[in-house]
Amino acid sequence: MKYTLIDGENGVTVRIEGQLDAISTADIRPLFDQITERRPRLVTLDLSALRLIDSSGVGAIVSLFKRVRADNGDFQVRGASGQPLAIFKLLRLDRVFSL
Amino acid sequence: MQRGSTLILLRFQSDLRYRNLVLRATQAAAKLVGQGDHPVFDDEVVAACSEAFNNIAVHAYPETPGEVEIQIEVHEDAVTIRMLDHGRSYELEEQPDPDLESLPESGLGIFIIKSFMDQVVYRPGAPNLLEMTKRIVSRPEQAATV
Repeated sequence: MKYTLIDGENGVTVRIEGQLDAISTADIRPLFDQITERRPRLVTLDLSALRLIDSSGVGAIVSLFKRVRADNGDFQVRGASGQPLAIFKLLRLDRVFSL
Repeated sequence: MQRGSTLILLRFQSDLRYRNLVLRATQAAAKLVGQGDHPVFDDEVVAACSEAFNNIAVHAYPETPGEVEIQIEVHEDAVTIRMLDHGRSYELEEQPDPDLESLPESGLGIFIIKSFMDQVVYRPGAPNLLEMTKRIVSRPEQAATV
């Protein structure tokens, strides 16, 4: 898994590539903690290069979503496709994230 | 093993380092089922297998890795995946479906397995056996038995 953090005028974008799973989730959670500490107005997850996600990865994203929203920030997910999109649809997160 | 099917056998320790090996084998096996491309079928089989292996690595052997055997049986129109372990067992029927409206952050693995696979059977014992089957044309109902 590889991630890229992009700071923009309107907020923060995190691009996640590869697999977000039981192993790699431990690597991205500290980044998510850093992001929420900054209380950005908008957090965008770019999942266009994410090939695989498991329930651990979903949990990390949902946790981030809840924390951003609790601080009155906006949260967007874009580019989900393939297996990650199938998981989001099963868990009804496509409605939450407007996918 | 059914006549005319192909069996892929993997045996290793329940370390999450082997996750990719398991998922790549599962994905390759799913592609052999039926005719033509069926990416949704493949994705759902891989997702279920991913959760099942995670459960063994994390919950069946929580302290030290133990032996896992994975049998991937490819039929003409279905794939059956069996995972055998000698770790802690559980009761499949006692795993509640998550309340999706509350946006749960954990406890989703069994739900994903039961949702994506057509038939899920778990038999605690020596070894514990989780058997999952998915057909190219999925049946609307699913059965989970112990």
